[in-house]
Amino acid sequence: MPVNLTLNGEARTFFGDLRTSLLDVLRQTFRLTGTKPVCGEGFCGACIVHIDGVAVPSCLRPIGLLEGACVTTIEGLAPLDAPNPLQLAFQDQDVVQCGMCFPGMVMALSKFLQTNSTPSRSEVKAAMIGNICRCTGYERIVDAVLSLQSGERAQ
Amino acid sequence: MGLFRLIYDSSVLMAQSVPEALEALSDQDAGAALVAGATWVVRAQGRHMPLARRFIALSNIPQLGLIAKNGSYVAIGCMVTHHVLAQALPDIPVLRALRQAAGGSANPGVRQVATIGGNICAADFAAADLVAAALCLDATVELQGVKGTQPLALADYLSVRAHRSGAEILTEISIPISNACSAHARLTLRKAGDYPVVIVSMRAARRSDKTLRDVRIAVGSVEATARRWTSVERALEGQIPTPAELQGLAANHIAEFTPREDIGAPGWYRAQVLPHVLCSAYADLLGQLEGNVA
Repeated sequence: MPVNLTLNGEARTFFGDLRTSLLDVLRQTFRLTGTKPVCGEGFCGACIVHIDGVAVPSCLRPIGLLEGACVTTIEGLAPLDAPNPLQLAFQDQDVVQCGMCFPGMVMALSKFLQTNSTPSRSEVKAAMIGNICRCTGYERIVDAVLSLQSGERAQ
Repeated sequence: MGLFRLIYDSSVLMAQSVPEALEALSDQDAGAALVAGATWVVRAQGRHMPLARRFIALSNIPQLGLIAKNGSYVAIGCMVTHHVLAQALPDIPVLRALRQAAGGSANPGVRQVATIGGNICAADFAAADLVAAALCLDATVELQGVKGTQPLALADYLSVRAHRSGAEILTEISIPISNACSAHARLTLRKAGDYPVVIVSMRAARRSDKTLRDVRIAVGSVEATARRWTSVERALEGQIPTPAELQGLAANHIAEFTPREDIGAPGWYRAQVLPHVLCSAYADLLGQLEGNVA
């Protein structure tokens, strides 16, 4: 039985083993390799995508559960020539190193900022608890997130 | 090609009702597994276990995702996620441990999909926050089988869950409402990417003389299955020790545990830090109880 879903705004259909993770479907079937396979256990956050507007690890979602779902990956978050403000902040402040964790960081934090546009430093850290970076250290990433706002809470 | 498609077609069943799920589960040849949030089942191969040949998903059964306050208890559907539990559980002091557990488990992404039913039914997952929290709150689970529904105390269910035979679905968790307070504490070795090494959930009320009554302590992640710490519960009844005194008391009862060893932490370490985590939960609980004399 095929699974029909909306992927980055386009209607797509998957034929195959419905137990396959969304992560594998994105990368192997639809060649959307911006979503990264790292831990495969929901710990690291590198594979986070938006499913029906919620940021979740795609490695933990069997494709068979996603009939009718609306999925957005890093490729569909913003046009290449018009990154969203968070992507611009990461770029401007040069916080990206190997790039393995950053698609997930962007997906998780973009959604977080939609629900809390003026977070405190500790709130940003709490929101990032499911995103592991082994390169940069987290403080510069947090700085970049906080740079999107001005005022006392950004200190 | 026909057989090929048949296997693919049957690899996930989106059950539309509990009876439909039970019927599918009864087909022993299918090698089926119930799927709630899927966060444990899909990682079977990472635990060197075979992936179930067929997933029976419960996410299309709306009534399993409800939270309802019914008089003297709160009924929680098995498909309620940790995120929803943390946000939507009634703001009643006795339920605080469960709210804390749900709001602090795993990470934000996992909390969006992991469910309370999955946490309770994953018999080989020792570090389930919600199990300890529900255990200290005297939770009852409702098991629906082909022959009807059976309520069972969560503590009893945990002791037999790995060995129960026959098709059944844990559909609901009921928690009695009382004027007690509760608290939940967990210790991870890192802020992210870690299961808790020790989990402690506590519940108690206070007598008019401010001593404790109806004490419950549940310990998770130390042994393979969460359980009550009844010797320390008894020692606390009618007492009101300081957190430091409780830590000393608890240390005298540590030998009652057979702590598990795994890649997360050695057994001796879990035992060593348990009294500290208990102390942390207790200090939080005392803060809640302040001014809540009943």
